[in-house]
Amino acid sequence: MSQGECILIIDDEQVLLEGCRQVLEEKGYVTATADNGERGLQLIRELNPDLVLVDLKMPGKSGMEVLQEIESTHPNLVKIVITGYSTVSLAVEAMKKGADDFIPKPFTDDELSMTVEKGLKKRRLILEREALMKEQELIRRNMISLVSHEMRAPLAATIQYLEVILGGMAGDVSQEAKEMIERCVVRLREMLELFGRWLKLATYDPQKSAERFTAVPLTDMAAKVLEMRKPDAQEMKVHLSLEAPQDLPPVMGSRGALEEVLDNLVANAIKYNRQGGWVKVRLLERNQEILVEVADNGIGIPPEHLPRIFDEFYRVDGRRNAPIKGAGLGLAIVKKLVETHGGTIAAESRVGEGSLFRISLPKPQQTKAERTGGWKPV
Amino acid sequence: MDRNKRILIVDDDPDFAAAIGKILTSAHYEVEKAGSLQAGMKAIEARTPDLILLDVMMEKYDDGFNMCYDLKHDARYKHIPVIIITAVTEVTGLKFSPETDGEYLQAEGYLRKPINAEVLLKKIASLV
Repeated sequence: MSQGECILIIDDEQVLLEGCRQVLEEKGYVTATADNGERGLQLIRELNPDLVLVDLKMPGKSGMEVLQEIESTHPNLVKIVITGYSTVSLAVEAMKKGADDFIPKPFTDDELSMTVEKGLKKRRLILEREALMKEQELIRRNMISLVSHEMRAPLAATIQYLEVILGGMAGDVSQEAKEMIERCVVRLREMLELFGRWLKLATYDPQKSAERFTAVPLTDMAAKVLEMRKPDAQEMKVHLSLEAPQDLPPVMGSRGALEEVLDNLVANAIKYNRQGGWVKVRLLERNQEILVEVADNGIGIPPEHLPRIFDEFYRVDGRRNAPIKGAGLGLAIVKKLVETHGGTIAAESRVGEGSLFRISLPKPQQTKAERTGGWKPV
Repeated sequence: MDRNKRILIVDDDPDFAAAIGKILTSAHYEVEKAGSLQAGMKAIEARTPDLILLDVMMEKYDDGFNMCYDLKHDARYKHIPVIIITAVTEVTGLKFSPETDGEYLQAEGYLRKPINAEVLLKKIASLV
């Protein structure tokens, strides 16, 4: 049952090449032949075949070398090696190097057909999986545009009407109605905000972001984040502090992204705190890494939830009843952003005692002497 | 407030256009609405408005962009101030960011949906 699939045979023996070609063409496959490894690799680039039969023993480029090259350039191509009976160990080695199957010489027409058909079954599965993954990616992208337009537009229109009513432009509104409408606007705006966050996570392109990395002075950045969060902290009666060494080297990254990371952690530490509690941000240098720690003595995270707090849309259940809002996306974004900086994030916590979030970022390749010699952020 | 200034709203969301229209009429502007880019162009050709509010996320992502570009490269219309309104923000990474696309767009203002009434009226007053 062929589907016009293309099979390439690479062997230095003309008789074997011809024999294989005839058998396979009779079965309806498209074939191509090469009598040496170089030519074989060239044909793979030109024809993009579905399956390749490679003789392991050839003068010039060996079958094993051909195999290795295909494995790196065309990993989805099914590779079957042709071996002599006396060289089973070679076949084993070839399988380790990425061959999908082997067929020992001499073989009958049926043996060849069966081995090829088995290999092509695998190829079809691989292609099917690829198509599925492409489709999934398409769905993901459509989902993004769906959320960005189809869901945001009605929300925006609704809020717009409510603003008009609140502004008295559609006639008088009673004080009670006004208060209710104000709450509606707050809730709907939260939803818009959630969509925005989700989109940010779904569309974040780490590669693009990494291309624009610059040296970020963490101490300045942390001071700014804490300054911005001061009003929230005062409202919660939470004390904020920053501890950082004078000569902390900058890290390579996106200032915006790192600010978002720290702001998220500090905001959480304030939100899940207690009256009179504290939030400490500590920056330190350790071996090859820069550590950013955000510690608090707030309500803490139950141990059963701790492993999942960085998952998308995960929220610690007990907090649903607490007067705290949030979509459960903040930490997922934080983790993603940290990882694009080549860093890691971990959390420790004890219920009733507080939490500690520790981010480790790689230190830029700079010696201490160079730094004290006047390192300036680019 | 100038009572004779005419503002054209080009937006495919009739509710959004109605809400914005209400804000504008309450400030004594004359309002015209177009639910598509074609209708928008027709309205402009029939009677040149004093200002255009243009939604850039209509049927296709780039339609509003193209319309703005065409207007700004047409001697008859390039003097009309255009305010881009959009639900898209720079974080969506889809298409639009005032910082990178501003030059291409050449609009006089950018406002994000939903729009604060006061901000909208102030912006319009500064342009007409």
